[in-house]
Amino acid sequence: MPADDASNDFRPAYPPPRHAMSLLALESEQDESGDVRGWMPVTPFTSTHDGMARLATVAMLVDALGGMRSITASDPDWAFTADMSIHLLPAGPTELLQADLHVRRRGRRTLVIEAELLADGERPAGSALLTFAVVPRPEHLVNITIDMTPGRRKMNANSAHEKLETNYLDELKLLVSQPGIASIELRPVVCNTVGALHGAIHASLVDEASASLARSLFDGGAVTTDMHLAYLDLGRVGPLTATATAIGGPSGGRLTTSVDVHDGNGALVSTATTKVVAL
Amino acid sequence: MSGFGSPAEIGVAQYLLMMIEEIGDGTAALPHTVGHFPGTPNTLDADGRLGTDLLTCIIDSIGGMTSGLASLPDWIVTTNLMIRRAPNALTGSCGTGELTLNTHVLRRGRSAVVTRVEVADLNGSPVATSWMSCAILTPANGPPAFNRPDKPFERDVPNDPIFAAPTHEFFNLSVSDTPGVVHLSIEQRLRNPWGILHGGSSAVALDAAARSLVVGRSTVEPTPEAIVTDLAVHYLSPGRVGPIVATATSAGRSGPDHLVRVEVRDQGAEDRLMALAMTTVHQLD
Repeated sequence: MPADDASNDFRPAYPPPRHAMSLLALESEQDESGDVRGWMPVTPFTSTHDGMARLATVAMLVDALGGMRSITASDPDWAFTADMSIHLLPAGPTELLQADLHVRRRGRRTLVIEAELLADGERPAGSALLTFAVVPRPEHLVNITIDMTPGRRKMNANSAHEKLETNYLDELKLLVSQPGIASIELRPVVCNTVGALHGAIHASLVDEASASLARSLFDGGAVTTDMHLAYLDLGRVGPLTATATAIGGPSGGRLTTSVDVHDGNGALVSTATTKVVAL
Repeated sequence: MSGFGSPAEIGVAQYLLMMIEEIGDGTAALPHTVGHFPGTPNTLDADGRLGTDLLTCIIDSIGGMTSGLASLPDWIVTTNLMIRRAPNALTGSCGTGELTLNTHVLRRGRSAVVTRVEVADLNGSPVATSWMSCAILTPANGPPAFNRPDKPFERDVPNDPIFAAPTHEFFNLSVSDTPGVVHLSIEQRLRNPWGILHGGSSAVALDAAARSLVVGRSTVEPTPEAIVTDLAVHYLSPGRVGPIVATATSAGRSGPDHLVRVEVRDQGAEDRLMALAMTTVHQLD
């Protein structure tokens, strides 16, 4: 490339060869209205004990698809995820999770997108609601070209050769130091386009912090089924740590938690509430 | 945004009678307030427990006010609100009676505020946790007047028996022929200081619609066999005309927990979608 044509943007290419999003082998398709449908294969490395997609991975699916849907919905502006709410249903063992996304409101400053989740294209698997903050398009994104032509495709070309061969959270090196506390180092595999913790990885931290707390209280297995997550700041300094606190005691095999995620400087970068169910 | 009416004359606040105190000297960039909800008999169920309808109202009230304090000299409107109840405080004596609401602003950005509200009973047992987002707006005639730090005050309650009525009467709810569909007729007392329908009013209507769907009967009255345990509501446009119609549909279930989607529309304003919510309705034994 001639020097005159070289971009002044010296940030490393995104996503890197091995990234949480590409490891989940997400696919997407956009219709002429701009609405988006996407799919995620559910494997033993991404599922709960009963063969359903784990909340951490569902968050990546809806966040990626929501981001894609937001591009046309917010044009000529840009949109960042402000919050994400997910409810999962017991859909049984699943091979392919499908998400259909629709814009429910496009205001001057906010965009609301709803996602309907289906297991294997037929069984209700839950839903998600996402809010995006609409902002003037950042300068480094003004001239980007995004392929929005119709047709089903991999969301990331690296998915063709980068395979997940271990548990998703283990691959991310998400660690639980004690019940209710989960942390992760800021490495390229878990970063977003600006080098901060990817929004869906916040959800992974919230999921595992909640579930680990519930496992200790239930003295057995537990799965996070619902989450309301608000993004407060970019997590640019690692390690990022999620701390889950029980809201009241468990009852009927259910636990409510409040989870805060702090960066390596101790700044609060996201907050969430969850419901965790005993197995 | 038009002018702000008198905060002392907000009908929903005169009904709920929550006292709010700002903690500190009123200079904190991220304000902290504590609310005290007295729990009058007409607002509580037979066990002395506050339903999620009015719980949402008081959370919206204190969370909105505290978010507004963080935004001065601008003000806010609630854009979405998330509530989750403690599972061990759904039955029995835990979580009944008077409540305290501990409220912290977590983030004040250029255009939005995120605030957390933690609700406990007088024994300190958690009842619910919540966070809400507000958009910052510039009111045409300035924000409401506050003396900082804001201190509790006794509200004058109109000499009208409707202010001592059960929730479904105060909020002017009515049933339709179909379980899961609830109507709300807008009265002046249900508007907020901006003159639009109070966000808590929408929450009351959608809570009633969700419970009605799950119990399978057309009702706007309390349902001892079902309670909303989790609510994610997005306020999409203001309610101005009415009647307001909340329509609940089932998204699925997990044992006693029903996932219910609710749309709230302003029928008199071209059926505009006002609010969209996902709730969990828990069927009690």
